[in-house]
Amino acid sequence: MAYDYQAVHALDGTIGAVPGQRANHLAVHRATAIAVVLAAPGHGAEAAGILVADGAFEARFCGPGEWLVLSEVHAPETLVAELSVRLGAFAFVVDQSHGRVALTLSGPDAARILANGIAVDLHPGAFAVGRAATMLCNHLSVNLARTGVDRFDLVVMRSFAEAFVADLKVMARSHDLSVDFATR
Amino acid sequence: MASLISCPHCGVRPKEEFSIRGDATPVRPAPMASDEAWNDYVHVRANPRGRIREHWQHVAGCRRWLVVERDNFTHDVFSVTDAAAGRGGAQ
Ligand SMILES: [Zn+2]
Repeated sequence: MAYDYQAVHALDGTIGAVPGQRANHLAVHRATAIAVVLAAPGHGAEAAGILVADGAFEARFCGPGEWLVLSEVHAPETLVAELSVRLGAFAFVVDQSHGRVALTLSGPDAARILANGIAVDLHPGAFAVGRAATMLCNHLSVNLARTGVDRFDLVVMRSFAEAFVADLKVMARSHDLSVDFATR
Repeated sequence: MASLISCPHCGVRPKEEFSIRGDATPVRPAPMASDEAWNDYVHVRANPRGRIREHWQHVAGCRRWLVVERDNFTHDVFSVTDAAAGRGGAQ
């Protein structure tokens, strides 16, 4: 018997959008291609080199020899194949496009909002543009990447996305924050 | 202070990001070692005051197992290393 499966975003119906484009904005991406890349033992440098050399991949550090790779160029259906063919035996690749949710927090208070839940120093001198790491935000583990002075990408596990957005709204209570799905 | 741990991979992090997994000094006996050796390894622990070596897992960060050398009386942290580094296993 054949089934039709339909992709439903983890936050469909539960995002609790705060409309408008306020000073600070949290955009939830609808279909982001995400994969986890784990370097084969002893091949961390080769895998890192291949990821950095290809502009279609955004590699975010998770741990030694391990990255979350996001792509706006490749579709969720093709990212794993694109990565596998380039990385070959240097790394293992697992699709996470439907396993994680990617969000972008931007605005002049972005770092202050995050500081209400994250204990890592987010001053641009300590956590520079281009850096990424996995860290605790309240009780949830998130991968945080600084893509600009006032702009952060956050990647959480799908089942935590609803609680995470609720947390961010509380963290931003004394700041002006709008929340919605990204339009792109 | 032991409430801040410098992960060799992630940098300075609060202790809430870690799970303490116990004494890092016991060495696993050979599979056919005596029952006494296995009993010591699995069950018997000293409870010293002062400088100790413990396994801490960075569960909310890089998820690596680390060896934290700290003083459980003064809370001084002396070193934090990847548990696989001693065996040449860290990438
Ligand atoms: Zn770590």
